[in-house]
Amino acid sequence: MNDMTPTREQREAKLEGMGCKRKRVEDIRFTQGKGNYVDDVKLPGMLHGDFVRSPHAHARVKSINSEEALKVPGVLAVITAETLKTVNLAWMPTLAGDVQMVLADGKVLFQNQEVAFVVATDRYAADDGINKVVVEYEALPVLVDPFKAMDADAPVLREDLAGKTTGAHGPRKHHNHVFEWTVGDKDLTDAAFKKADVTIKEMISYHRTHPSPLETCQCVCSFDKIKGELTIWGTFQAPHVIRTVVALIAKIPEHKIHVIAPDIGGGFGNKVGAYPGYICAAVASIVTGKPVKWVEDRIENLTATSFARDYHMTTEIAATKEGKVTGLRVHVLADHGAFDACADPSKWPAGFFNIVTGSYDFPTAHLAVDGIYTNKAPGGVAYRCSFRVTEAAYCIERGMDILAQKLGMDPAELRLKNFIKPEQFPYHSALGWEYDSGDYHTAMRKMMESVDYAGLRKEQAEKRAAFKRGETREIMGLGVSFFTEIVGAGPSKNCDILGIAMFDSCEIRMHPTGAGIARVGSKSQGQGHETTWAQIIATEIGIPSDDIMIEEGNTDTAPYGLGTYGSRSTPVAGAAIAMAARKIKAKAQMIAAYKLEVHEGDLEWDIDGFRVKGLPEKTMSMKDICWAAYNSVPPGMEPGLEAVSYYDPPNMTYPFGAYICVMNIDVDTGVYKVRRFYALDDCGTRINPMIIEGQVHGGLTEAFAIAMGQEIRYDDEGNVVTGSFMDFFMPTAVETPHWETDFTVTPSPHHPIGAKGVGESPNVGGVPAFSNAVNDAFSFLGSTHIQMPHDYWRNWKAAKNLGVFA
Amino acid sequence: MQMNDSQRIPAAKEKVWAALNDPAILKQCIPGCQSLDMSSPTEMTATVVFKVGPVKATFGGKVTLSDLDPPNSYRISGEGSGGVAGFAKGGATVRLESESPEVTILHYEVDAQIGGKLAQLGGRLIDSTARKLAGEFFTSFAAAVGGEAEAPAEVVTEAEGNKKSWIGRLTGAD
Repeated sequence: MNDMTPTREQREAKLEGMGCKRKRVEDIRFTQGKGNYVDDVKLPGMLHGDFVRSPHAHARVKSINSEEALKVPGVLAVITAETLKTVNLAWMPTLAGDVQMVLADGKVLFQNQEVAFVVATDRYAADDGINKVVVEYEALPVLVDPFKAMDADAPVLREDLAGKTTGAHGPRKHHNHVFEWTVGDKDLTDAAFKKADVTIKEMISYHRTHPSPLETCQCVCSFDKIKGELTIWGTFQAPHVIRTVVALIAKIPEHKIHVIAPDIGGGFGNKVGAYPGYICAAVASIVTGKPVKWVEDRIENLTATSFARDYHMTTEIAATKEGKVTGLRVHVLADHGAFDACADPSKWPAGFFNIVTGSYDFPTAHLAVDGIYTNKAPGGVAYRCSFRVTEAAYCIERGMDILAQKLGMDPAELRLKNFIKPEQFPYHSALGWEYDSGDYHTAMRKMMESVDYAGLRKEQAEKRAAFKRGETREIMGLGVSFFTEIVGAGPSKNCDILGIAMFDSCEIRMHPTGAGIARVGSKSQGQGHETTWAQIIATEIGIPSDDIMIEEGNTDTAPYGLGTYGSRSTPVAGAAIAMAARKIKAKAQMIAAYKLEVHEGDLEWDIDGFRVKGLPEKTMSMKDICWAAYNSVPPGMEPGLEAVSYYDPPNMTYPFGAYICVMNIDVDTGVYKVRRFYALDDCGTRINPMIIEGQVHGGLTEAFAIAMGQEIRYDDEGNVVTGSFMDFFMPTAVETPHWETDFTVTPSPHHPIGAKGVGESPNVGGVPAFSNAVNDAFSFLGSTHIQMPHDYWRNWKAAKNLGVFA
Repeated sequence: MQMNDSQRIPAAKEKVWAALNDPAILKQCIPGCQSLDMSSPTEMTATVVFKVGPVKATFGGKVTLSDLDPPNSYRISGEGSGGVAGFAKGGATVRLESESPEVTILHYEVDAQIGGKLAQLGGRLIDSTARKLAGEFFTSFAAAVGGEAEAPAEVVTEAEGNKKSWIGRLTGAD
């Protein structure tokens, strides 16, 4: 060896593998405006479609007259439910086992529901056409309040379900009832409440909000009549699922459907579902024989494609007077809007809401969820969280604070007292999950030390005393949140979407010169997969990240995968990538043994190649093995170096974290100031710390938005009153607080690389931290629970209701 | 949304009443009215251009007069559709009171509902726009009937006056 031989550290660094803060390779094109989004797809002769939408939240459609619209120059067609009926597509199946109108069939059930699809030579002509379509409505009574949905005299929304006493998830008990889902031991839980020293009960609402990605939902459909093939470019978080759904409902053979998800400008759950726009664009392309583009505007996105949350959670906790929790009872009223288009794994009508026991050792619990229909947009997607996990985390984390207040205990102490202990893992929760790993006490204590929790409480006590003496009008709140997420859906034994098991996949093909391509079944919408997936492969097979190209989103080339949402990419696709890489490595080892003339067992892995045990100078690099794999394989071995892995995870993963928000609120104006926000995340093995930090920043910003103002609100007539960014809170750099991030590492024991997923943790943990901070600030004035969102006006109103202006 | 107000008109009650039933005068006074045609003594069809915030639309609809008690009071109600901009419906109960043989006080109670894009985008502007339009109508009406206009009295918006503070009106929050 001479001086030019790189050291082990240099060889390691050159790989830019797991643990490296590798710069995002996709940002080179994104920051130069060279991304390729759906709206960048421009095909010869392409037409544009746009919707006539209902101004009414509930009305009978008496007639649709397209005569004048068809006279508008450029307008070629107006598609209505009647048109769609000829191809049996007036209704479409939802992911939740319900059906949904593609275009209004007889009546409309929410404001801005799609009524007719105008197809024209350009978008402006389509808009002009929309203005000329005359729709005659007969208004019907509107149902907005979820708590009135199951009144005996509530308006009948879904006439198509008349007489159906059973839905996709069991019995229906009212004409506006979707399902009831119960988990846990009711008798045991009721008994725990009877015996309890202390109980709390509070109706905790998680209001309706919206993922609102900057790029709205859109597609281009192009049907080739000669080949009988349909190509769809779309903003799809799960392109393969879209292909299968299209095959099933449009009856086109699946190999003749090509779904391409190009660059996506944010998804956050909004782009999981199938929307009427996709169906109408496809039908319009089939009818006209030309490509048809459909691009939502902002109002359409906020008011018609999938919302999130709208869970109203009556939460009860039983405890001993020493503060040991003994039982949890939760009833959820779940407002699903006009159709149940929830994007959950099919067997889970309320997603994984049964993670609601959180990080605590509840001996018993019972959960009941009633899904109901209202005159609101359908949806119920996981907005930057795993399925209904952020609702569950908010429910239990508010509940624990309310219990602490009743017991006169510190909220952090109450949590430490009730955490599942490290030695209890794997832990079976009272509501049926097997938590794979965790070390909650360490994370919580690290958070408390990092922010000087005791010092903050002391300051708060002084400030409260000063407030009572009339020396200040500012109150201070500490929002503690400790969450356990459940991500990585999921094991085929209990997770599927419309019967498709929720595995994921990776195909790696190494080229002779030691570079390669990996195609993955996930689909980045900004998560940075092109960067991090290469890092996993780099560490596994010793080829630099820069020499691995990652490709996703084209169903013709990528192996079948279930896509990216619910923080499932690293837990599932990430595992498939590691497993495919290990297959590559296993073949490489056979080739290296042959070339080095030793037995396979005499080789050991060393950063970027194999070496003979005991003979460190006798090595063969992975790069050289790639060449040999094509040109001089052992006798009897097939040439080439490729591998495919489909990974069916044995369990979910359970990331956790300890967050705290320190906030001051001026009671006279309701104006708050986030003084400090500290987020400690444990996502197991950390693939790219820089990307993790970015993910946490983004998730916290969305949590901040939701907790402090972002809301889809309806008036009594069913008008969406927050249908644009004028009224829907979208924080910019001006409003967004400074984030401090930290971590512990508890690898997942069942995941090939020990990673657990992180993208959504900050939203799950962040919302309760903000809400607990506001509630903690007001608690000494006698308040128990103030509903979100906590905008200035509501803070001011809370202060007013508590009599501070007297 | 509800509004109560009154307008002092320098004309005799009978003259004011006649004007209230005269499509030509109503057309002249309704802000943005493009056409108003009487199809029967109590029914009219109207086209009105209405603008709230960023939304401008032509509303077509029908206007009905009911509860007629000449020359004292009636209810004027209507509903119209502005296509993609949304819909509006509502009415006003109008009551005339003689202050003197030459001066009439016109009392009105307006209730209105709107839906669609108007309500979504113009939500925060609707109350103020409605007050402005009502003010414009009655000022023009007073001028058309009495030959001179007087400043409208202070508007009391009942729903807001009772239920919402000024911040509630600004934020739209309840």
